[in-house]
Amino acid sequence: MNIKRIATSLLVLTLAFAPVFAAGQAESAQEGPVTIKVANYALLESGYEPFWKSVKSGFEEANPDITIEWVTAPYGEIVNQVVNMAGGGNKVDVIFGEIDWVPGLVDTGLAAPIEDILPEAFINDFYPDVLKSFEVDGTPYGIPLYVSPYVLYYNKDLFKQAGLDPNKPPKTYDEMLGYAEKLSKLKDKNGNKVYAFGQTTASVPVSGASLSAMIFNFGGEVLDANGKLSVDNQGFRQAIEMVQLLDEKGYNPQNAKLKDLRNLFALGQLAMYYDQSWGFNGIKSINPDAVNFTASAEPLVGGQGSGQSLLQAHCFILIDNGDARSAALSKFVEYVISEDVLSGYLRDLTPAYPAKKSMASMESVVNNGILKGASPAAGRVKVQTFIPRISDLNLELCALAQAVSVGNEDVSAAIKKFKETAAVKISQ
Amino acid sequence: MKTRTLRRDQRDGLFAFILDIPALLLTIAFILVPIVDSVIKSFQTYGVRNIISGKPGVWNDFANYLYLTKTDAFSMATFHTFSFVLGVVLVQFVLSITLALILNTNLKGARFLRSVMMTPWVVPTVISALIWMWLFQPQYGLVKYLASVFSFSTVTDFAILNNPNTALTGVGIAALWKQIPLMSLLLLAGLQNVPQDINEAAMIDGAGKVRRFLSVTLPYLSPVIKVSISMSIIENFKQFPLFWTMTGGGPNNATTTLAVLSYREAFVSMNLGTGSAITTLWMLMMVLVVFFYNRLFRIQDMG
Repeated sequence: MNIKRIATSLLVLTLAFAPVFAAGQAESAQEGPVTIKVANYALLESGYEPFWKSVKSGFEEANPDITIEWVTAPYGEIVNQVVNMAGGGNKVDVIFGEIDWVPGLVDTGLAAPIEDILPEAFINDFYPDVLKSFEVDGTPYGIPLYVSPYVLYYNKDLFKQAGLDPNKPPKTYDEMLGYAEKLSKLKDKNGNKVYAFGQTTASVPVSGASLSAMIFNFGGEVLDANGKLSVDNQGFRQAIEMVQLLDEKGYNPQNAKLKDLRNLFALGQLAMYYDQSWGFNGIKSINPDAVNFTASAEPLVGGQGSGQSLLQAHCFILIDNGDARSAALSKFVEYVISEDVLSGYLRDLTPAYPAKKSMASMESVVNNGILKGASPAAGRVKVQTFIPRISDLNLELCALAQAVSVGNEDVSAAIKKFKETAAVKISQ
Repeated sequence: MKTRTLRRDQRDGLFAFILDIPALLLTIAFILVPIVDSVIKSFQTYGVRNIISGKPGVWNDFANYLYLTKTDAFSMATFHTFSFVLGVVLVQFVLSITLALILNTNLKGARFLRSVMMTPWVVPTVISALIWMWLFQPQYGLVKYLASVFSFSTVTDFAILNNPNTALTGVGIAALWKQIPLMSLLLLAGLQNVPQDINEAAMIDGAGKVRRFLSVTLPYLSPVIKVSISMSIIENFKQFPLFWTMTGGGPNNATTTLAVLSYREAFVSMNLGTGSAITTLWMLMMVLVVFFYNRLFRIQDMG
């Protein structure tokens, strides 16, 4: 009996303390071959996996001493994944993400200035205005693979059905409202309602960025050059009034995410909507025939504005992990952001504009039928000042848009509440 | 003899303690330490930069708690949380006891029904949220279609999750679908332990069905009711995946509960200090609610 008890006790104690001895094994320092860790949510999204796999195999073939290790998580979780890993002492080398992630990652101390890792000649090939959009306190963090303003996608078939010229998309919000009146009378082949105009307002930061772009259309601003809240301007108010009007008339699908709008557009239930140019891949993955009815147009001009929009970019955000890994990282970034690698990607998967001057005349961009209509807008983007709590600000913009639409609140009262809440949020 | 018995008791106690060591260590490491750590961080300026650099947080004179008073976000989140818990727990109890009473009869197919009704309970919460999100989808969801059919096309734009006045109810419906099976099963187990002889004696004494239910069944069932409602209160108080997946706290913050608010502060705003402050207050509220609930039930037992 005693032996049984002793044996049981030893077993229990072994089980209890096993994690102590099992944990905390230090990684031995590596010499020679270098592994760089690339955090990339796109590997989990339909359509993108083959491209990134070919990037890995192509890069490793060209650089036999460098291995790429993917770190993946869904879009909404990848930043937390990177932060949690860094908290445990395991930093990735680069994050493939959105421009809006840059200020948050700079604030955490993770993002490194691109000048610390990439060669000057490579950086100088990027459009200065584009790099300016990546600056925090005058230093660029993050390097874009490609860029795009918010473009207006529209369905040429629905335009024809409504008696509109499919080659003459609206140029102003007033024109758009006229078009929308006709388009909203249509039904799809199953008898479902056709929404005339889509502007995302769901509670996700990217919807807030899209609303900022709409405010820029009207000549308004959300933050001043110093990053202070600046919403007492006509353009801001007119844009919010437009969101309310679109809801009142039933033109805009309520509380929709961008992916909801892509879905409706792909199914022929949405006639026009604002999206990042690469949103077309989402449309195409739902309905491959969409390529036959989709066209793009410049962002609309509203109020006293000139139809400016917000620059959006898919970018690499770099992390400094010492000389050996930084050198390998530099090679990886230079490999990916090149005409050879991105040409097919921008033609077949993700219509967008190159950020490098030397890639301006790429055949896949110049002859991109989907982006043709929106091309003049590429040079009409406005830089949004980066602040660390840009995601909070974007979520508050969504709440404001929801307040005046599904919440039926008065525009003045809703803006007043937005000002109070957003000021507290961004001051934290 | 007495000494020997005492030694055996001591040996038994020591042996029992050794057997408890793994559970104690796990409880301390994964429950107590994080709670204490979170409470400490709620008084500090502590962000992701601290995690990455390894620098400790800095005491900030209750700034995290004062921040919560500057907007109505925390008070509204508290209101939404309590409304959700109260609504879901009450409806859940009424529907679960009804279902349990039906299944406790000699209904044909009751055993099959019992197996089938457990399905929602075994579905992961995020999947449940996605299922209901698609059912409630405002353009092509099944619920929208049914609303249109049964209203003879007078209601054509039924979108429960898009309306700030109904969104909390929409999430509540998903929570009920997921949680009713377990509560029904617990209550059914309790019902099957109600002594039939007492019920029969009450019947012979002339008690009707309602009287027997109130005076015999419910008192015997009260320990099970107490536990199952406690579990439901806790489950719904800390409900996060349904809200985050179905509404993200919208529309117009109408479904921003304490769980959503704390997640936003900690992991969207990357401000772990404020997130911890919300979590600390949230935990205190939950402890108080469960404490008063248990006291209420004890008084009822004594009565």
